[in-house]
Amino acid sequence: MYYIHTISSISNQDSFRNENVYASLREFDAENDVVAPDYKEFIPRNSLRRLSPILRMGLTCAMECKNVIGKDFDSIVVGTALGCLKDTEKFLNTFITSTSDFLSPTAFIQSTHNTIGGQISLGLNNHAYNMTHTQNNLSFEVSLIDAILCINDGKKNVLVGAAEEKIDFLELVQPNLISADYPLASGASFFAISGEQQNSKVAIQAVDTNFRSKNVEKEILAFLTKEKIDLKEIDLLLTSGTELNSTTFSNKNINYMNFTGLHFSTSAFATHIAHDFLNNNDAKFALVVNDLCKGNLGLTLLKKG
Amino acid sequence: MSDLKQTLKEQIIEQLNLEDLTPADIQDDAPLFGEGLGLDSIDALEFIVLLEQNYGIKIADPSEGKDIFQSVNSLAEYIEKNNKT
Repeated sequence: MYYIHTISSISNQDSFRNENVYASLREFDAENDVVAPDYKEFIPRNSLRRLSPILRMGLTCAMECKNVIGKDFDSIVVGTALGCLKDTEKFLNTFITSTSDFLSPTAFIQSTHNTIGGQISLGLNNHAYNMTHTQNNLSFEVSLIDAILCINDGKKNVLVGAAEEKIDFLELVQPNLISADYPLASGASFFAISGEQQNSKVAIQAVDTNFRSKNVEKEILAFLTKEKIDLKEIDLLLTSGTELNSTTFSNKNINYMNFTGLHFSTSAFATHIAHDFLNNNDAKFALVVNDLCKGNLGLTLLKKG
Repeated sequence: MSDLKQTLKEQIIEQLNLEDLTPADIQDDAPLFGEGLGLDSIDALEFIVLLEQNYGIKIADPSEGKDIFQSVNSLAEYIEKNNKT
């Protein structure tokens, strides 16, 4: 078991420092990107001025996790599908339009995907293992698997999470990027996990990824069989709008995309919802099903106790 | 010269994303790095870009930067002498 000790999310929902995100879910608010805290409380002003929204969200969530558990992380694992889009766009625009020999270094430096992990490392003054995974809609699940491997390898305190940011340009290319039709969004969710239970009530039992998924229903059932759990034992099924046979999959279920909006790491926030559901209800198992991009299936099983 | 200093302050605020500052907050003779505005080495690179883009000035010898970027006064003096736009 991989115990969740704290979670910090910044999303379209009122999720930051919210003990029960599941209970306070509301319809996606297209007027606002994210409900953000005052970043100045977390990030020194001189650093904050350079940081794009994805870096502000990621660093703030990471700092909040560190503040809550009060220990240094010995591994930092970040998932992001599209990375630091605002800085990438700024850098490329300057690259195309500038007539001078020099280009602004900040946007270039901060345009790479692993800037999020790097800024977390700098912000927390943490020189431990630092890894970024970019695997389309399964970036978070792959990061979770890496985090689990770190724990299996003896790491005691792992920070794992995912972050994405939207830019206006994405709206133009959305139909070519993904078939799912939800409003674009931004968000970040980070988890402090370890192999020791301590005061944790909810754990990640198993994570699975399949990049050649052909039959989601069969693959879910095979995953549960492997975990020795009957489908009926799943108290909450969180899906990315997955079409499931309602007779077979009669479990209580929600389409988390209706609350997160569209980005490629929404399953990280769904895992936060699943955690809070188990933590605050008489329930034992929750399963996050992520097939946002057809053919890529991520399954994350959470267990209470 | 005073117009140039005012313009420079506006350009510095924009280029370095000093979103909480106004030109009036930047003293002409205050150090830009260290204890002054607290700028760092990445900002020094941004200054090099600012000078090239806005004034056509290329700093050939990076060691000159320390003196040129000391304050708004030193920047303005250097631009007055070397402006190619």
